[in-house]
Amino acid sequence: MKSRVTSDRLRDLQSITDAALAYLPLERLLDELLNRVVEILGADTSAILLLEDDDSTLVPRAAKGLEQEVERGIRIPVGRGFAGHIAATRRPVRILNVADADIYNPILREKGLASLLGVPLVVEGQAVGVLHVGTLTERAFDDEDVELLQRAGDRAALAISSRLTERERGLADALQRSLMPSLPELPAVSLAGRYLPAAAERLGGDWYDAFLLPDGRLGMAIGDVVGRGFHAAAIMGQLRSGLRAYALEAAAPGDVLERLSRLLRQIEPGRTATAVYLVLDPHGGGLSVASAGHPPPLVQPPGEEPGLLELPGSVPLGATRSVRYETQELDLEPGSVLVLYTDGFVERPGEPLDSRLNRLIATVRDGDEHLEHLGDTLVDVLLPEGPGGDDAALLMARAMPLGDTLVARFPAEVESIPGLRRLLGRWLDEAGATRRDIDDLTLAAAEAAANAIEHAYGLAPGVVELHATACDEDTVKVEISDFGSWRAPRGTHRGRGLLLMEGLTDDVEVVRTGEGTTVELTRRIGVEEAA
Amino acid sequence: MNGSAEAHVDYHDAVGVVTLTGEVDIVQAGQLRERLLGAIRNEDLGLVVDLTEASYIDSVGVSLLFELAEKLSERQLRLGVVLPDGGLVGRVLGIVNLAAVAEVHSSVDEALTSIRGA
Repeated sequence: MKSRVTSDRLRDLQSITDAALAYLPLERLLDELLNRVVEILGADTSAILLLEDDDSTLVPRAAKGLEQEVERGIRIPVGRGFAGHIAATRRPVRILNVADADIYNPILREKGLASLLGVPLVVEGQAVGVLHVGTLTERAFDDEDVELLQRAGDRAALAISSRLTERERGLADALQRSLMPSLPELPAVSLAGRYLPAAAERLGGDWYDAFLLPDGRLGMAIGDVVGRGFHAAAIMGQLRSGLRAYALEAAAPGDVLERLSRLLRQIEPGRTATAVYLVLDPHGGGLSVASAGHPPPLVQPPGEEPGLLELPGSVPLGATRSVRYETQELDLEPGSVLVLYTDGFVERPGEPLDSRLNRLIATVRDGDEHLEHLGDTLVDVLLPEGPGGDDAALLMARAMPLGDTLVARFPAEVESIPGLRRLLGRWLDEAGATRRDIDDLTLAAAEAAANAIEHAYGLAPGVVELHATACDEDTVKVEISDFGSWRAPRGTHRGRGLLLMEGLTDDVEVVRTGEGTTVELTRRIGVEEAA
Repeated sequence: MNGSAEAHVDYHDAVGVVTLTGEVDIVQAGQLRERLLGAIRNEDLGLVVDLTEASYIDSVGVSLLFELAEKLSERQLRLGVVLPDGGLVGRVLGIVNLAAVAEVHSSVDEALTSIRGA
């Protein structure tokens, strides 16, 4: 029953692996390959097991005569039993009598297999899986059988590996894209981010994030999960979501990090990560920051030397059971640059950390005003040959001076009002307004915005536009526009809203057009306590 | 402008004192309204609202005070409001003429004495 025409068999194997199968989807390729192996070797069963990403578990992917092996989802530790031994040693194994052998997978015995032959699937010296055949009657597989199966295994390994790599690459790119945030657009802050995967991996544990909080402030985070590959990236994704969720609920960055540390211990005990979370008031200039064992952010006030923030020492997330992270409150002048980074940017084997940090500082000092350009320069200077063994992330922010004319749009929601007040307050401050001018005008503008939000759009989503400009040296005009249908202020408190607008400004005009309504508030500013 | 507000309630011999801190505005009005209306006790002589630590009040916050005055008046109770000297909150409550429905005082002690003495 066993043919001795070896060249015929080889031709069979070549046709299997090189031509016909090259265009099949992976699962069908494996099926077809197993059929052919059974036929050529005169075996009763065959199976392919592939190594998981963790490099320590074999999982059956296709089988002939042993279909339950795949269906049951059995997981075989590398080093254990027949297949586990082949993967661990990367050498073929012949078993004459299954009854006497060390077998991990019970299905092999349940099926009544007598003899087994297995070979490793090897790519670039690494085992990626195991191919084995079995017979119901006892059979001594000879060297020629081993060589044939190994050739089939080698060809299959290449096909599997190239398809896996292709699939993984696609997945990695998709995952990467979904994990890197789209940064919010704000009138008062510009933002830019960079992520560079490690040379050998497309995915890593570094992340950054920036998002608007309900009170109009900006949350910024950067972090580094220890480890690499899909698994680290998956943990990173959970931490990123966790941080956003906690940030919506807890005000202080230190509290947010404490909760995140507990979350990490829940997701995976023993895993650690470093992170910095800060909340920036883009309209008032305040900065609250907390760190969990992460390299300190760099700050450059306008016209001054950049420096690293001095934060109290702290342990990484997940490192200890109960932990407190201190929140530091700082001022950030308009025009300041803020740079958050991961250690992939500043740690390089063979180079002292200090000298790399100094290069970071010097690059920011001499860098371009435009953050996208600064990001490119930082990557060029610090990672001229790309990232090494570690991935690297960078998040930069600049608190912008607002300029002569302020234009900003907000969602037509009550929650937008505090942010609108802050932004207008900062612009008025830059325009030379007194504390009293700022208080009165921001309240009047908030009343106009509240009226637009409550009455212009009903339940449909809309926007409120804030426009502020100096009419002359000491008079400003603040306009609040909606693009909905006008309805006169109703109810007593809206009536009081109009009363307040009139009482707190010099002039109130309501302009209605086909497009919507604009409330114009005019007031002299810069006069110290005139009345 | 930290965007938050708190209401602390205390009772001084048959007069409730509610201390409002932070921003009494459209965002916070919902939670503050419950605290304010919940502070009214039928057996009391009146209620004092201390706004000296409030940094901001808008028309929704103003309406809350007018509603409180109305609810107290229905029960024959008096409302005293404590305002700081100058500042936005005082200006706003002047514009809307809060004095028409509440007694305006410059300290909690003054407000308590006035309500008890009447």
